[in-house]
Amino acid sequence: MLMLGWTWGLLFAPQDAVQGNSYRIIFLHVPSVIFAELIYFFMAVCALMHLVWRVKLAAYLIKSAAPIGAMITFIGLFSGSIWGIPTWGTWWQWDARITSTLILFIMYLGILTLHGSFSNLAKADRLMSILVIIGVVNIPIIKKSVDWWSTLHQPASISVSGSSSIDPSMLYPLFISVIGLGFTLISLGILSSRSYILSREKNKKWASEHV
Amino acid sequence: MFNSAFKNFNEILDMGGHGIYVWSVYLIGILIIVISFLIAKKRIKEVQKKIKLKNASS
Repeated sequence: MLMLGWTWGLLFAPQDAVQGNSYRIIFLHVPSVIFAELIYFFMAVCALMHLVWRVKLAAYLIKSAAPIGAMITFIGLFSGSIWGIPTWGTWWQWDARITSTLILFIMYLGILTLHGSFSNLAKADRLMSILVIIGVVNIPIIKKSVDWWSTLHQPASISVSGSSSIDPSMLYPLFISVIGLGFTLISLGILSSRSYILSREKNKKWASEHV
Repeated sequence: MFNSAFKNFNEILDMGGHGIYVWSVYLIGILIIVISFLIAKKRIKEVQKKIKLKNASS
């Protein structure tokens, strides 16, 4: 699906009237940042489950999802800054959305560093969950940053309800790219959580029977 | 909607002068995602090996 969305977007969608062909970066940039935020949201739900009901698996999932979140946030930032060179004339600007997304990236790294800095893993899980919950305030800030502050970023041109200000010939491949990247990241998440759960539970009986 | 936006292969690469930006972003993006998959697969193998070693010794 990702390949379909990208082929359509890169080769068949028409040129943008203002930006020419550089807008084609959108088919990687927008899906990436959507999942940068969704993965964090997923981690926050897991953190709540871990803190309230002491679900051990929830903490394992946070730890497995955080590197993927960091990776996709990096792709979002990086593709955005390359896009900025021909379009805005600068690769970096301390505008609200870029800055808050950079904070999201640092949060992901901070969560991983915090977890890695404790030898007591149960304690590490708990503190990591608390940090994830604290960091969740950043998500609505990223979402609303283009409306609250006047920035280089355009306000959202796609809305779930009502009409989008983007032409269907660009919207459909974008939509398919989002779904495709979603499936890609879910399969990556399954792989990485599999190895992490096994490594945490390697002393249990089921783990030794599993291999 | 399904007409190709480009006439030939060179135009696809060039993209009106923006090709270098567009293609470098996709190339590096795909590379990062592929490497992540390879790392994840390697980790599973490592963990399975560890558990097998432990099973063998006990």
